[in-house]
Amino acid sequence: MTATLQSASAEREPVLRLRGISKNFGAVSALTDIELDVNPGEVVALVGDNGAGKSTLVKVLAGVHQPSAGSIEFCGKPVSLDNPAKALELGIATVFQDLALCENLDVVANLFLGHELTPWALDEVAMEVRAWTLLRELAARIPSVREPVASLSGGQRQTVAIARSLLLDPKVIMLDEPTAALGVAQTAEVLNLIERVRERGLGVIIISHNMEDVRAVADRIVVLRLGRNNGVFLPDSSSQELVSAITGATDNSVSRRLERKAGHAHDNNGGAP
Amino acid sequence: MNQNPSGTPQPTLDRSDERVRHDDSLAAMAKGFFLRVRSGDLGMLPVAVGLVVISVVFSTLNPVFLAPNNLVNLLFDCATVGVIALGIVCVLVLGEIDLSVGSMSGLASAIVGVLWVNTGWPVAGAILAALLSGVCVGLLYAALYNRLGMPSFVATLAGLLALLGMQLYILGPSGSINLPYASSLVRFGQIQIMPDWLSHTLVLLPGLIMVGKGIRTRRQRLAANLSAQPMRALILKAAVLTIALEIAVFYLNLGRGVPWMFALFVGLAVVLNYALTRTKWGRSMFAVGGNKEAARRSGINVRRIYTSAFVLCSTLAALGGVLSASRLASSSQQAGAGDVNLNAIAAAVIGGTSLFGGRGSAYSALLGIIVIQAISNGLTLLNLSSSLRYMITGGVLAIAVIVDSLARRSRVSHGRA
Repeated sequence: MTATLQSASAEREPVLRLRGISKNFGAVSALTDIELDVNPGEVVALVGDNGAGKSTLVKVLAGVHQPSAGSIEFCGKPVSLDNPAKALELGIATVFQDLALCENLDVVANLFLGHELTPWALDEVAMEVRAWTLLRELAARIPSVREPVASLSGGQRQTVAIARSLLLDPKVIMLDEPTAALGVAQTAEVLNLIERVRERGLGVIIISHNMEDVRAVADRIVVLRLGRNNGVFLPDSSSQELVSAITGATDNSVSRRLERKAGHAHDNNGGAP
Repeated sequence: MNQNPSGTPQPTLDRSDERVRHDDSLAAMAKGFFLRVRSGDLGMLPVAVGLVVISVVFSTLNPVFLAPNNLVNLLFDCATVGVIALGIVCVLVLGEIDLSVGSMSGLASAIVGVLWVNTGWPVAGAILAALLSGVCVGLLYAALYNRLGMPSFVATLAGLLALLGMQLYILGPSGSINLPYASSLVRFGQIQIMPDWLSHTLVLLPGLIMVGKGIRTRRQRLAANLSAQPMRALILKAAVLTIALEIAVFYLNLGRGVPWMFALFVGLAVVLNYALTRTKWGRSMFAVGGNKEAARRSGINVRRIYTSAFVLCSTLAALGGVLSASRLASSSQQAGAGDVNLNAIAAAVIGGTSLFGGRGSAYSALLGIIVIQAISNGLTLLNLSSSLRYMITGGVLAIAVIVDSLARRSRVSHGRA
């Protein structure tokens, strides 16, 4: 399936194309010359160590930070993402790591925040129905959509945040550590959800530290290291390759352990042709 | 989607999770209310308790306190500071403050006096100029906040002095301008009373609207396979509200009746309540007050929201100043001085608008100002010196803020932020 999707998307132009993106915070360069393409119907995983610049890159694409240099093309047209509203308008939805929810508002209000139906006489019934339908589609276990978000657990808040990003039918959706706070069932659900989103032809950018999750859903794995591109991998590339690209070292305890494991597997299969 | 051919009862969309308790019966609703109060969601409770205590204390000390005509006077006084408190609600919802509303109202009353009486402008033009000055001051505060990042506390504290200075400057050496008694503006602030039949008819409206809207919402919700409020509860609430209002109006009509000025204030409160609860703007206000960054990331123009709140606050303060000029039939150096500022802020807080942002309602200004004015009116009836009155009002404000802080702490620990 991955292969057909990739060949299909290869004919189309990338929905998002980043060239030479840099971002400095004072003397620190968080991002340097980042190149990134996202095709429609493709899941791109951004991986990297802490401080590799993944979240900064997401914030640049979400319009929270402005890049110091470089160009962003969206659907073939150069764009500047001056503020979050602009990014949303274009169709770049983001689920932030620090969940951007208003704790004093209820779930419905949070889902529709900034995009309420009928601005002069809010249609609460329609919004509540839409909220329940959306949460049902995500198989989300939210007990009540009329309680303030403050009363929800971390996982439930994550679900609300993801549901909100899908509400506007975006073209690209970015998920910053979507499974970090989730239980086993919810993680599987979110990964399923990501595949469903991909099947709908959306470009997906997912950031995760969990290599299993990444390999399960990603079509391409882009490694960042110290704010620079450090290689693009396919999900079937070995963990060793990924880890060394992420850490920048070919020899450390993680890679040695992987090597031992691989060696064991090799020994066990030694007799087979 | 609500079609259910098999005929078996199917849980509605919002009732399919068994973890949620649903308060359908009246007893369950009472229990739900009790639990909400315990978790720090006090709502209008402090006001209700406050009003009962005040009525009992002051009417035992001086029976005149509860006389119909005294209550009518009370309502006249409520309208002026109450309109200012409506503006304060707007900035408090954002977690900001405007300390200059007293000076702003004083400046507005001075502008009306100077332009209308001294310069001979038509009264409508003078009022419009006063309101425009409020808009300008609000825009200035918004610019200081949005562009320069100046805390509203400091910006409006500076404004308090600057506007007071401007008020003294335009009033000139005489320091006081009397407004003509026969004019419609002064009559509006001192004597104009609704006819009995009109006030009785008007107070039927809230109950009727409540039932009408309730039935419509109920039908929509049931059609969309959502649970709806039981009819019983709806009609009971509307009936209690209507009876309470009719009794209040009947009692006031034993005296002079319901002042038009108070009706104007209530009308503004209703409009603001609608804007805060039923429009996108209101939703954005609470979002910005609750989590500014989340609001920004969901595409709300945060700066525009701050601007709207500061402008609304200063403009309503100016309108309050115009009303107080008409109430006192003068524009003087004393207008807007003293406790006007704190009374307006205290009214909003006592009514249940949080100083910490993200919580509040337009009706908190309406109910809070009645509490504040009742205290001030009662103390005046007791002939207490202003020194004691300031101390007592200060104590009440402190108690209101303490209740707000404790309720907030309780809400946080009960997951209701």
